[in-house]
Amino acid sequence: MPISAETRLKLYRSMLECRVLEKRAYDLFMQNLIKGTSHLALGQEAIAAGFGMAMRPDDYTFCTYRGHNHTLVRGVSMTAILGELMGNSSGLMRGKGGSMHLTSVKHHMMGSYAIIGAHLTIANGAAWSAQYRGTEQVAVCFFGDGTTNIGAFHEALNFAVIWKLPVVFVCENNLYMEYTSIHDVTAVEHPAADRASAYGLEPVLIDGNDVDVVYRTAQRALELARRGGGPSLIEAETYRHGGHSRADPGKYRPDDEVKAWLAKDPLPRYRTRLLQMGITEGEIEKIEGETQAAIDGATETARTAPPPPLEIADQDVWANGGSAWRN
Amino acid sequence: MNVLMPQLGETVAEGTVANWHKKVGDSVIADEIICDIETDKVSMEIPSPGAGVITKILVPAGTTVEVGTVLAVIESGASASAGAAATKSAAPAPQPPAAATEAPPPSWYAAMPPAMSEAKEQYTPQASTSSAAPTQLAVASTGGPQAAARDTHQRLSPAVRRLAAEHRLDLAAVSGSGRNGRITRRNVVEFIQTRQTTAQAAAPVAPVVAHAPTAAASAPAAPTAAAPTPATRAPIPGPAPASAPAQLGTSVPFTRIRRLTAEHMVRSKVTSPHVLQAVEVDFQRVDQVRKTVRDAWKAKHGYSLTYLPFIGNAVCRALLDYPHLNSSVQGDALLLHPQVNLAIAVDLGAEGLVAPVIKAAEKLSVAQLADAIADIAQRSRANRLKPDDFAGGTYTLSNSGTFGTLITAPIINQPQVAILSTDGVRKKPVVIETSEGDAIAIRPVGVLAQSFDHRAVDGAYSAAFLDRVRKLLETSHWVIDV
Amino acid sequence: MAQLTYRDAVAAGMAQEMRRDPNVVLLGEDVAAAGGVFKATVGLLDEFGAKRVKDTPISEQAIVGAAMGAAMTGLRPVVDLMFSDFFAVCWDIVANQIAKTRYMTDGQVTLPLVIRSANGAGSRFGAQHSQSVENWAMTIPGLKIVAPAFPGDVKGMLAAAIRDEDPVLFFEQKSLYATKGEVPDGEHVIELGKANVIREGTDVTIVALALMVPRALKAAEMLQEQHGINATVIDLRSLVPLDTQTILREVAKTGRLVTVEENPRLCGWGAEISSIVAEELFWDLDGPIVRVTTPHIPLAAANNLEDAQLPNPERIVASVRQLVD
Repeated sequence: MPISAETRLKLYRSMLECRVLEKRAYDLFMQNLIKGTSHLALGQEAIAAGFGMAMRPDDYTFCTYRGHNHTLVRGVSMTAILGELMGNSSGLMRGKGGSMHLTSVKHHMMGSYAIIGAHLTIANGAAWSAQYRGTEQVAVCFFGDGTTNIGAFHEALNFAVIWKLPVVFVCENNLYMEYTSIHDVTAVEHPAADRASAYGLEPVLIDGNDVDVVYRTAQRALELARRGGGPSLIEAETYRHGGHSRADPGKYRPDDEVKAWLAKDPLPRYRTRLLQMGITEGEIEKIEGETQAAIDGATETARTAPPPPLEIADQDVWANGGSAWRN
Repeated sequence: MNVLMPQLGETVAEGTVANWHKKVGDSVIADEIICDIETDKVSMEIPSPGAGVITKILVPAGTTVEVGTVLAVIESGASASAGAAATKSAAPAPQPPAAATEAPPPSWYAAMPPAMSEAKEQYTPQASTSSAAPTQLAVASTGGPQAAARDTHQRLSPAVRRLAAEHRLDLAAVSGSGRNGRITRRNVVEFIQTRQTTAQAAAPVAPVVAHAPTAAASAPAAPTAAAPTPATRAPIPGPAPASAPAQLGTSVPFTRIRRLTAEHMVRSKVTSPHVLQAVEVDFQRVDQVRKTVRDAWKAKHGYSLTYLPFIGNAVCRALLDYPHLNSSVQGDALLLHPQVNLAIAVDLGAEGLVAPVIKAAEKLSVAQLADAIADIAQRSRANRLKPDDFAGGTYTLSNSGTFGTLITAPIINQPQVAILSTDGVRKKPVVIETSEGDAIAIRPVGVLAQSFDHRAVDGAYSAAFLDRVRKLLETSHWVIDV
Repeated sequence: MAQLTYRDAVAAGMAQEMRRDPNVVLLGEDVAAAGGVFKATVGLLDEFGAKRVKDTPISEQAIVGAAMGAAMTGLRPVVDLMFSDFFAVCWDIVANQIAKTRYMTDGQVTLPLVIRSANGAGSRFGAQHSQSVENWAMTIPGLKIVAPAFPGDVKGMLAAAIRDEDPVLFFEQKSLYATKGEVPDGEHVIELGKANVIREGTDVTIVALALMVPRALKAAEMLQEQHGINATVIDLRSLVPLDTQTILREVAKTGRLVTVEENPRLCGWGAEISSIVAEELFWDLDGPIVRVTTPHIPLAAANNLEDAQLPNPERIVASVRQLVD
């Protein structure tokens, strides 16, 4: 079934919002308004946007610390994300979690996880819960290429397959772990797709920078899971424009490689496709203008918010809101 | 060979014999199933450990026994010796397991192997010295029955310190029943409770002879009615029990000095069989000498010349002829001291009694003795006595006569064997013999009363000594070098 | 009132809660068909079916991670981790994820899960299967930790743990599984965070946990009969939340504290309690605080070696006698 123009515009808007958000985060970091560390997904917008569009509102998202986009596409406001990065009271968790742990349970965005591999096992649990309760919810779990070599990846895949869990595992292969090329440290060429058969899964390898491809693949995988067909493992090839984290300028990648991938930047690529499909420049510029205004407004709101109240520092360790370990 | 109840699970302690496939007298071959057992919902067949004949079945079907229990006995070989079929239902005592089976989980409270030494990590009490702290008391024991070792390091726990602060206690007044005499929290709590219930102190355990003046001052030559008590070391009475019934009156807790005095007095009486002997002394000649030098002496020495140095001098001279009264009892022997270290009892009032010592007093003249006495008296009151001042006394003078008492039965200053009390000297009519016959004269008369330790000497010896003292006082040609 | 074994009390507690709440599920290695390697979950598969009682592969990270994901999304999972030593295999999920996620998400996430495991020594399993690891967990904020000693407490506290909205690590002592005790009939729930004074005395307060509790009781008997020392014994039962008030109250009465810990010496729960008492009850102490522990060495497998390493009643008695004067 072809993707409607309306959907395509939404996809473009979604990717663009991700792009401006991450760029704004970059700028704010450079202005020292964002502290600590931040892992940007510039260049990887198509994966977040494509899946975000295909998922049901009550499907679960689990992602890594490089999760600003995945949080945004579930409907969390730019303000809340920027506020969390800036560590003030406008933040999604009022500064208690930080960039690496963005979570919005009401959006079914079940968390960004900073320890490699852990959230694959946790996503299984959410999928099991959906299966147990019979709700046809699906858990979608995003992770990087480096994750495919950690124990939890393998445990999670095996586990998901034997219980036939409604979970979609999405490997965003941007070819580099932190500073090391994934090829140098992986026994197989395609770190996720080449492991699928070890777990009885169909190998799926896609162009992660083509949002239409991502969207369709997502639909298929979600449908499979929803009707009880079990998990999928998808490897989406992509590339990050920046370094691993804000502190990393990414100078370890060969220039021609960078150049080649920048030519496949999902955003200009899709813009061109939209124009080719007959969508007007005006419509596109409108989206671009609105997106820019949105990020500027969000930045202003987030930037001027007060710091988090001190009393929350020892709250919410326990469900009763407290942190007492003794009487 | 024994068939044992095996352990079928790591944490399983018992099993039940479900049924026997064989009976006593049956032959079995190796691995043939002889019974079924169940442990915690697992069933299992038990094979025979070898070939032979079942001679005993010790645990009937349906019985639950501990892992390791012998279920049956198989005699290997062909002979079908008649084994008594033990059909008792009581489970026999567990036998040591055969080679293959695991030992059952241990019974924790059975005889345990030696535990790992954690000496470094466990609390070990400090090694403490048991020497008694030097005290300031005259009758502090300088030997004799050892006092309960005082906690010389004064380890006062936080609880003890806090209670003492809250209740304004002088911890010197609290005796400790803890290790090495430590004052424990309980000691303090009981002390406070005793104070609060205003209970009269319960009678101490050891017998205490009343320290009261005896009216009948006859000094018989023979031993007195104070029959010698065996020199047993009775326990020092502890603090009054907290449960003594409430009584009328005001409770005045012992100060540390009072308590120590009490303990030493009791100990002395318990150690030495005290006998009291007394003589009346006519101090006429002494008085004459005193009067002669009085003003010059006072002017020069700053204090008055009293009877005491005269008495001390007489005592020292008499002791040279009666050395057994200048001694100490040591086991079955009497240690005669080479010199007279004369202890002079000084009453410091609230501070109690002290008895500093004048060493080699027999070498001193009356004037020197007077100075020595004045010096220690003054230093006593100024609290400038040193431990050495209390060491080595061999005989004690107790000057009780300040208030004009008639006679005092003093308590021996251990480890000495005698003590002399000098009571009031007052003018009395005495009969004197003159060439014209008996006449009445007014003379200054005072009683000298000696308590002696009947282990060391008998009454005749003591009496002769006292007589000598009296004669020396009454007839010496005193020359005082002011 | 019934006499149940410790292991049957586990199953009884599970069953009570699974009957009550359809969202309570059990997962772990060999828990369903086999009833658990320690036979502590026998009968649950039969009663509640394979949807709620699930056997897993040997994948501790996946198991515990799945429990977390399920707890985040509406279920109340109970994990059977088999041996508490295996926490080391999935410690990331427990310490980094489960313990912290509610806090990091500013209270958005609730994790009503329980991880049961067989803890401690005495069964000759050797160093890697005999550890007392409750102290590992005690150092991580965000985890509740309990370790019952008696079957009645097992059932009641497991029920409370399952009903708790927070993650609870439920440590069963593997050498106590066969012991028997009174378990009340009917619904039985014991609030977490409550220590139990099981013997009242006057001379010293002994605080013990799990396997050390019966040993402390035995030591108290011996102290009374042979040495006239009258000891209070407290079954701590719950490390987090910690019933500090009971400990302080009881130590104030006697002025002396002895802890009996099965764990190796360093940084055991007894050290924490010693510190609290030394700080908050200093002026009531009549002697130093003493800890009786296993020495700081791995546990041996042989009978006599392991028995010598763990605190036994004789060693507890000796330590108390050194302290009480």
